Amino acid sequence: MDRDEPDMNTALMVDGNAVAGQLEQIFGRDMTMTIARCAGCARDAQLGALMAFIRGPGVVLRCPACQNAIARIVETPSAIYLEARGAAYLRMAPQG
Amino acid sequence: MVQPVLEWQAGRVTAIRPETRQTKSFTFALPKWMAHRPGQHYDVRLTAPDGYQTQRSYSIASPPERLREIELTVERIPDGEVSPYLHDVLMQGDELEVRGPIGGYFVWDVRLGGPLLLVGGGSGVVPLMAMLRHRAAQHSTVPTRMLYSSRSAEDVIYHDELNGMAAANDGFEAFYTFTRQPPAGWTGYRRRIDAAMLAEVIKPFDKRARVYVCGPTLLVEAVANALVEMELPIEQIRTERFGPTGV
Amino acid sequence: MAGLISRGFLGRRRPAEVENRLPPGQYLVTDFPVLSAGPTPHTPLERWSFTVEGLVGSPVTWSWEEFQKLPTQTYTVDISCVTKWTKLDTRWLGVSIDTLLKAVQVDPAGRYVMAYSDGGYTTNLPLEEMVNGQAFVAYQFDDKPLDPVHGGPARLVVPHLYFWKSAKWIRGLRFMERNQPGFWESLGYHIHGDPWKEERYSGD
Ligand SMILES: Cc1cc2nc3c(=O)[nH]c(=O)nc-3n(C[C@H](O)[C@H](O)[C@H](O)COP(=O)(O)OP(=O)(O)OC[C@H]3O[C@@H](n4cnc5c(N)ncnc54)[C@H](O)[C@@H]3O)c2cc1C
Ligand SMILES: [Zn+2]
Repeated sequence: MDRDEPDMNTALMVDGNAVAGQLEQIFGRDMTMTIARCAGCARDAQLGALMAFIRGPGVVLRCPACQNAIARIVETPSAIYLEARGAAYLRMAPQG
Repeated sequence: MVQPVLEWQAGRVTAIRPETRQTKSFTFALPKWMAHRPGQHYDVRLTAPDGYQTQRSYSIASPPERLREIELTVERIPDGEVSPYLHDVLMQGDELEVRGPIGGYFVWDVRLGGPLLLVGGGSGVVPLMAMLRHRAAQHSTVPTRMLYSSRSAEDVIYHDELNGMAAANDGFEAFYTFTRQPPAGWTGYRRRIDAAMLAEVIKPFDKRARVYVCGPTLLVEAVANALVEMELPIEQIRTERFGPTGV
Repeated sequence: MAGLISRGFLGRRRPAEVENRLPPGQYLVTDFPVLSAGPTPHTPLERWSFTVEGLVGSPVTWSWEEFQKLPTQTYTVDISCVTKWTKLDTRWLGVSIDTLLKAVQVDPAGRYVMAYSDGGYTTNLPLEEMVNGQAFVAYQFDDKPLDPVHGGPARLVVPHLYFWKSAKWIRGLRFMERNQPGFWESLGYHIHGDPWKEERYSGD
């Protein structure tokens, strides 16, 4: 059990790019090239390159380097929640 | 420039074409069609009469040069929820809700140049095909190699078209590996993609290669790890994990 | 969220024979879907432990070996996930929370519990809904060691609440004075989560 054997939980993982539609719906622009700095390990990654877990009550985006939860998204019938306390910041090109 | 808001639209199925035993291509005419970048995907949403909804993502197989319609190629996952519906129930003339094109991360177009290494497993070839179709439509000669893993020769999606592209002698070469049943007399690869295979295929491009890896998550994991171990700069590797689709 | 009805798409099923056992808005499954929020932790059993802490006289920790010696019970229960599936008659072996609490002195102020897991997952519960046989820490499913994808080596099971309360890869319980939200409860999900009252989202 020491090794990370491939399992269904791993097989269900996708890239942050797979959540591009939901992110674009929230931000009104493509967010997959936006850089997130991980608040856990201070490394940078594009949102499209984060580890995405989409088969659960909500979406969890994790740092590919340290697995820290960078952002979470939950859609309820009346609201969309986006929490990003695992990100030190997001850095994106200005629009226009 | 104001981006149009991403919204669901009803795409009408104008053609359904079998590709292999397990895959079909679906053409959708879109009222709000927008040119995509090769590698992007659409989200597809199904709604049941009781309001139950579910959605999945599908890469665009067609190149942006094809106007007003898109083509998706879907592998049928026997115990899946959405792909069997698309294969067994959806018919020409039906309407399906889609939103897209989406995702700016896993994209390539001729302006990005090469050399280009495309690595795909199973239906993971779909977004890579959009890149190749776009490359051909633009008469690009960017050095491009594709390493494509399938169970058997019958499972190779777009086989004839890929052979045609390779015969054009415009800098594109295709390498196949068969994990279950190689064709008779096959002298090429007959195993899962591994570090040795990647090293051979990437050789002429060396560390300059831009690499796009797509397919079942476990395959993409293995390939991405091997590429990182080969010390390919991580910025040059793009991945698109499909989740638990056929390996 | 209304959408165009997809011709011929029936969605999921509520078979009439078991309709009365399915909470509102739930559908029957016979497989066991994996709910994923992160990679599967693989804590070696030698390093695994279970701790009860917080508002207790003094915290107690069991090693895996010690935990195995605690009296167990078998449970056959229905489970309902907020993602709308319900699985009937799931069979578990585990240690009742009542058994664990015999070893600690809970401060009367400690009326709420935060269950916490490997990988950082948390979920909150009122103590009164964990006692009297209502909740257990399971380490076998269907007579086999609990598969890591389903929370092994051990997970909490609280069958009468939505399944996100049944924390996978559990490592301990922390007693608290106030009901603080856990991983999903802090992001739109219901603080309580009773499937029969369809307590899915906060503000419902
Ligand atoms: C960005 C992106 C692009 C994609 N592009 C394509 C494409 O071009 N072509 C293509 O064919 N596919 C593509 N996919 C995959 C596609 O989105 C679907 O995942 C695929 O079609 C399977 O969906 P399904 O509903 O048929 O199967 P699902 O119902 O999702 O099931 C798939 C398999 O996983 C198992 N499974 C599913 N959920 C769980 C769970 N929670 N626990 C345990 N087991 C589970 C099922 O039993 C089944 O074996 C893409 C995915 C992404 C993320
Ligand atoms: Zn990190």
